[in-house]
Amino acid sequence: MNHHISTDQLIERALGARRDDSIPRAGLFFQESSFRSRALHPRLIGAGAVLLIAALATDVAYARTLLFQWNNFSIWLLTGGLLLAALAGFALVLDFALHRVKAIDWLRFSGFVAAALLSLLNALVHSRDGYTAIVPEGLELSALVSAILVILGWRNWSVGVPHSSRPTMLKETHS
Amino acid sequence: MNRFPLQAGCALAALLAVSACDQKVTPPSAQYGANPVLPAPQQYLVPPMAVPPGIGWKQGQAPVVPAGFRIQAFATGFIHPRMVYTLPNGDVLVVESNGPDAPVYRPKDYIEGRVQALAGSAAPGGNRITLLRDTHGDGIPDVRTTFIDHLNSPFGIVLVDGNLYVADTDAILRFPYVTGETHVTVPGTKLTDLPAGPINHHWTKSLTASPDGSKLYVGVGSNSNITENGMAAEEGRAAIWEVDRQSGLKRIYAAGVRNPTGLAFEPQTGKLWAIANERDEIGPNLVPDYLTSVRDGGFYGWPYSYYGQHVDVRVQPQRPDLVATAIPPDYALSSHVAPLGMAFSQASSLPVRYRSGVFIAEHGSWDRSPLNGYKVVYVPFQAGRPSGPPQDVVTGFLTQDESKSQGRPVGLAFDRAGALLIADDVGNAVWRVSAAADEGRPRPAS
Repeated sequence: MNHHISTDQLIERALGARRDDSIPRAGLFFQESSFRSRALHPRLIGAGAVLLIAALATDVAYARTLLFQWNNFSIWLLTGGLLLAALAGFALVLDFALHRVKAIDWLRFSGFVAAALLSLLNALVHSRDGYTAIVPEGLELSALVSAILVILGWRNWSVGVPHSSRPTMLKETHS
Repeated sequence: MNRFPLQAGCALAALLAVSACDQKVTPPSAQYGANPVLPAPQQYLVPPMAVPPGIGWKQGQAPVVPAGFRIQAFATGFIHPRMVYTLPNGDVLVVESNGPDAPVYRPKDYIEGRVQALAGSAAPGGNRITLLRDTHGDGIPDVRTTFIDHLNSPFGIVLVDGNLYVADTDAILRFPYVTGETHVTVPGTKLTDLPAGPINHHWTKSLTASPDGSKLYVGVGSNSNITENGMAAEEGRAAIWEVDRQSGLKRIYAAGVRNPTGLAFEPQTGKLWAIANERDEIGPNLVPDYLTSVRDGGFYGWPYSYYGQHVDVRVQPQRPDLVATAIPPDYALSSHVAPLGMAFSQASSLPVRYRSGVFIAEHGSWDRSPLNGYKVVYVPFQAGRPSGPPQDVVTGFLTQDESKSQGRPVGLAFDRAGALLIADDVGNAVWRVSAAADEGRPRPAS
């Protein structure tokens, strides 16, 4: 039989993703974890967050040693984190278009956007020459961004709202 | 002119109150001479950049000189000419050069590289020295040969006792020179190594010889703006070296001079003077570039401080012991003018009031708005010391609206007739400035 394949299906096949919800779920926790999610954006957010948090570690290393090479590590980590953040933005649009994300949790979304914007500022600070590239504003911004990301990412890196059928469960689980 | 980054940076900074942003910049005249006004340093998110793209000169265009002067293109069609030097027989050498490729250590290095390219500073250099000879004595050379080829980012050049010394970025080379030759056939021998790559931030090596010819003096610029490439990269840098001309043995003559781009002996006192480019990114009026006499064993502050004891907090750990000994330079030229060439006027046949001082070529600013420099100035001297504010001599390197640069002056020298020669590395020309009455004729041989 000659199948008519939609663009959506083509993209899904290419990405190895499936739209149907037939996989058995172990429960809300696993279903929404980025590990199990079919959405692309949480993987990119997670990877970017790792780089941005690592920049805090290299900042601390600079502050302790005053070896400027640590700042070079920091600025490249920040640059990598920002590139992944931008890619995550595109991925979120794709995820939404493919209905992998049905609705957006705007609070989490705003948190991640804030972390990205603060990291952009942080990259500018880290592009200064010498001590003031890190101490104090660079360190402060790295610490703030790390805190935001650890809090937001504690359970997963998705900005999607759990399935429309789930909110009641979510409430029950948490109350 | 590209003012957007500046405005964006200021707006962002104001929004976040991370740093202040001076919208009103004190005019350069407040920073001339022995006691320049030094504002408080600032820290930027986006450092101000204003880079007029280099477009070169159209046919018939030239820089502007005051009444009583005449300017003409001495020669054109060079590959990034940086230095001019007049040989005793009147032949003029033009050093065509640019820095080696800079490694990208940070995203910023890439961006700055692109900005510099816009300004015409990234054009490849010829890595050679071209000889020009004016056999007719009409002020226009009619012989042009490649004098020395295959050099490694040369800059400084000096002839002493039948030997031509060329300061490549990594070594001083010695070439035997026979008066009248138009091409050096004997390969150069290395007199001594100079601090160079793989990081080679300030690559130019300025060069001069002591009046008695026994010593050479080499200006070695810092390997960073303000130590961001690490202190290990600054070994032997930001210093003026003294090299024994016979043995090649060398020592640091003076330290803490961020980028000594020009060296010359003041004719009356026989003392060594230098021009230097000071640090960036702490404000449009910080830190003024300068002209100074150079004391044997003197320390001039970089990186720890500027103009004496003004500490730069970007350098950690600090060195209060060194800061306490830092000598303030003699004469500020104002901020970010980028002096790259100097010539004392003893050989000048320019109008009389320009015959006892020093001419300085200001390549022009890139990290400041409004622009500063982009001209050749004259600093009058009395009794071997600067005696007044710098006076504009050659201007008009920028277009009328200051949005583009047609040329940027670098090296200076007087030709045998006493006219001022100017290497222009954006216009790829050498300009000749003479007294108007002179009409380009050389003075009778003395």
